[in-house]
Amino acid sequence: MRLSTAKGGLLAGAAALMLAVPASAQEISLWTLSFSDVQRINDGFAKLEQQFEAEHPGVDLKIVRRGTDEHKTALRVATGAERGPDVYFMWAGLGLGGEFVKAGLSQDLTPYYEKYDWADVLVGSSMGFVEQFGEGMHGAPYTFKGEVVYYNKKLFEQAGIDEEPQTYEELVETAKKLKDAGIPAFTFGGTVNWHVMRLMDVLLETTCGAEKHDALIGMELDWTEEPCATKAFEEMKMWATEYFLAPFMGIDNAQSTSLFFADRAAMMLEGNWLVDQIKEGADLSNFGIFPFPTGTGRLYGFAEYHYINAKSEHKDLAAELIDLYLSEDFQQETLGAFATTSVNKNVEYVGDISDMEREWLDVFANHTELFVNGDQGFPLDVTTEYFRVINEVASGNLEPAAAAQAMQTFIESNT
Amino acid sequence: MSTTTAPASATVADAGYGSARRRDPVLIGLWISLVLVAVVWIAPFVFIVFTSLKTTGDVMTTGAFTPPATVHYQNYENAWARGDFSTTFTNSVIITFIKVPLGLFISAMAAYALARMRIIWGKLILLIILFGTMIPFQVMLAPIFTVVNSFGLIDTYPGIILPYLAFGVPYQVFILHGFFSVIPRELSEAARIDGASDITIFRRIFLPASIPVLAALLILDFVNTWNEFAMALVILQDAGMWTLPLGLMSFQGQFSNDYGQLNAAIVMTVLPATIVYLIFQRYFVSGLMSGAVKG
Amino acid sequence: MQVKPLQDSRFQAFVLLGPALVVYLVFAVYPMVDVFVLSFQRWNGLDPERAFAGLSNYKYIFTNDPVFWVAFRNTVIWTVLSVIFPPAAGLLLAIGLNQKIFGRGTLRALYYLPVIIAPIAVATMWRWMYDPFFGLFNQMLAAFGLQGLIQDWLGDRNIALYSIFVAYFWQQVGFSMVLFLAGLQGVSQTLVEAARIDGAGRFQVFRYVTLPALRVTTTIVLVLSLINSLKAFDIVYGMTGGGPAQSTQMLALWAFTQSMQIFDFGRGGAISVVLLVITIAIVVPYLRWMQRRDTGE
Repeated sequence: MRLSTAKGGLLAGAAALMLAVPASAQEISLWTLSFSDVQRINDGFAKLEQQFEAEHPGVDLKIVRRGTDEHKTALRVATGAERGPDVYFMWAGLGLGGEFVKAGLSQDLTPYYEKYDWADVLVGSSMGFVEQFGEGMHGAPYTFKGEVVYYNKKLFEQAGIDEEPQTYEELVETAKKLKDAGIPAFTFGGTVNWHVMRLMDVLLETTCGAEKHDALIGMELDWTEEPCATKAFEEMKMWATEYFLAPFMGIDNAQSTSLFFADRAAMMLEGNWLVDQIKEGADLSNFGIFPFPTGTGRLYGFAEYHYINAKSEHKDLAAELIDLYLSEDFQQETLGAFATTSVNKNVEYVGDISDMEREWLDVFANHTELFVNGDQGFPLDVTTEYFRVINEVASGNLEPAAAAQAMQTFIESNT
Repeated sequence: MSTTTAPASATVADAGYGSARRRDPVLIGLWISLVLVAVVWIAPFVFIVFTSLKTTGDVMTTGAFTPPATVHYQNYENAWARGDFSTTFTNSVIITFIKVPLGLFISAMAAYALARMRIIWGKLILLIILFGTMIPFQVMLAPIFTVVNSFGLIDTYPGIILPYLAFGVPYQVFILHGFFSVIPRELSEAARIDGASDITIFRRIFLPASIPVLAALLILDFVNTWNEFAMALVILQDAGMWTLPLGLMSFQGQFSNDYGQLNAAIVMTVLPATIVYLIFQRYFVSGLMSGAVKG
Repeated sequence: MQVKPLQDSRFQAFVLLGPALVVYLVFAVYPMVDVFVLSFQRWNGLDPERAFAGLSNYKYIFTNDPVFWVAFRNTVIWTVLSVIFPPAAGLLLAIGLNQKIFGRGTLRALYYLPVIIAPIAVATMWRWMYDPFFGLFNQMLAAFGLQGLIQDWLGDRNIALYSIFVAYFWQQVGFSMVLFLAGLQGVSQTLVEAARIDGAGRFQVFRYVTLPALRVTTTIVLVLSLINSLKAFDIVYGMTGGGPAQSTQMLALWAFTQSMQIFDFGRGGAISVVLLVITIAIVVPYLRWMQRRDTGE
């Protein structure tokens, strides 16, 4: 418009035409979550948009952000309708990501994996889910997250604990010592069901081992016939009744984090994102981490992927966007923006990072395999039931054996 | 109770003397208990306002009804920004200011037609509409979503306003139908003889005559629309389209441990409806009464 | 004046009635029909096709769903509580505030205030008051040395439903109160005076004059309270979301959860139909009673 006032109608008309053609032809959209509280992620996306548009003149990259539930529903709406994103964010794992793959909303990315050699630059564990959806390769890593035990050094000291527990038995021992010193071992927030679920997940991994755990989550094994499932529920009950900061069912994860920072409990089972929260709300040097000692050597965590919509009209362009995102240069430049650890293995971690972040890098480097959160492995209805059963066990209303039975009954009546 | 019988009948006898009434021990006891209960009733508001003016540290260390030592206004500022209140507030205003007058207008037209015109199946139509006053839409959230989605109106103003209109119609038609039915025939007959059409009669005679009822309904509907949550939850998925109640819910989900700001967010959500209520208090009661009791 | 009067008036009726009727039919009546249809189908909200599923959704919710009967039971408890307590308290307040006492206008306004607050805001307020660590209730109990009574108000499945109900009660009492106040205006003052002159005490006047005159109002209040209670959605969603362990789940919320969160529209539809049928079973007799009353007058 500025042009038209300066140089007259005819020229402006021609200019507008020239501009209008590519602009209207090339608009691609990326749907992701709104990370309103984390400025770094938003800055990272702003950089992505800027670089991509600089490399592709005339292309308008539109990044649409939504809250978690809204994002899921918007994608469902998009499946039924013609309009939709070109690229979308979704968790990896059969439960959430798998559902959209099944619904035909994900393009098989095999040709792009070959063309861009993504497998050569990606961290191994981040790719763990690409081929699990059946035929083809679905999704490209966006970030991957690990969850470990955070502990309060001061409280550990008070209880006379000077070593991080290496085995499950030692962890229980640690909890006992804490309890004797009058300190609740763990804090969880029960209103958001997935918080307490984390403990159940790692307990299942501990009692059942990797293979059986996967088979149970994959609903291939009978929960009632595997004693380890009942055993895990027994352990769950013990932790909840003996070692949780009570009450826990009436608070949520954020409140539980506040209590953790206020020295009300010694440990929390949290993801690597907690590092930033500690930096904001407490003294980082007072906290340490260790992976929950499941004994299987797998890291508890999950990956988040970008999928290309099978209905997209700009698939090649979408793949270019993903390629830019995964590139070493971009990842190096935005290091720490999207997650502590990059999905690109060639990225170098330099500069002043805290001890805890350094420790996290070791954790990621030492683990090649992941096991995912239950709510990402199960279909939605089973997840809802899994939550209910865990909460019932944790609040002492359901006996462990009955809990395994409830899971199995539900699975059978829904498949 | 029997001991109070004598003085009670005595007050009836000398009802003209206000002083005698004031000394009635039963009334004094009643008054005291009503005031005490009222204090309990508004205590939550005091607690919320106090908390909204405290820092998180103060919340954790000071008593519930301890007034904030230093007034921490920043909670409001921060909550406004973090909760994106400017967006949700604007959306609420747009949706309410379109829906409420429009809904009343179409309801009034329909109520007039059903009350004063001969319409085939008129009785049945009225019955079907009245039926709607009783059916909770909360039951049908999923099909409402499906319908709105089939028009491609998810995350749009029309997408939320249309169902709001649909579920506002029954009650308003019900009230206005009752009101129009009792307007004397002579009033409209005179106009009709002069050749006025029904639309003219509605506009010139019925609409002005029903202004008090319309005002009551307007305010009731304003509050209901402003407060509506369930339908908005289903239809407005995009945070940029959220109304105040949705924004508050999301705020609670994200910042539940920031007690001061959370309570500031509550106050800001509740305030507009409260102000409207305090200004138009009289109409609320008359609106409710005309609806439920006389109808 | 070429147009025939009849056609003209038909056209006018159409113009006047049309907008409201169309909007109502499309966005209110059609969904109600659709919910019945959905309840016989299997649909996840994603597929273009909705498959016929016969009675399987009903069979599932009645026999296999571990939450349905909990939600059903809670809905019944909730409804019973809602029909008893807010109207009873509302009646008491109305009688008190019907006396000529100092500041009764202000008092009425105060009691009615919670009614106009968004239920979701009420939920948020009360959730904070119930906070087990820093909330109002536990703080007060601690201050009075009653630590033994401290509860996880919304986290303990044995009391969570009732904790929510207290918040609902707080909000709803004003509603019943206003309706009863309106009803009390209709009580003939001459009759009251006459009874008093005949030596009737306050209680007797209330029992034999006021209460019978309030019969119609009472019916209306009870039915409206009942219908409102079936609508309880926001407050449960906001306070517990149906938890802990689905122990405060209600039919309306469970239908929503099935449809919009688990994306099983068929089962959600079946649950909705159950609730709709219950509602209709109450509403239809009530509407007939209203009609009889109207024509009776």
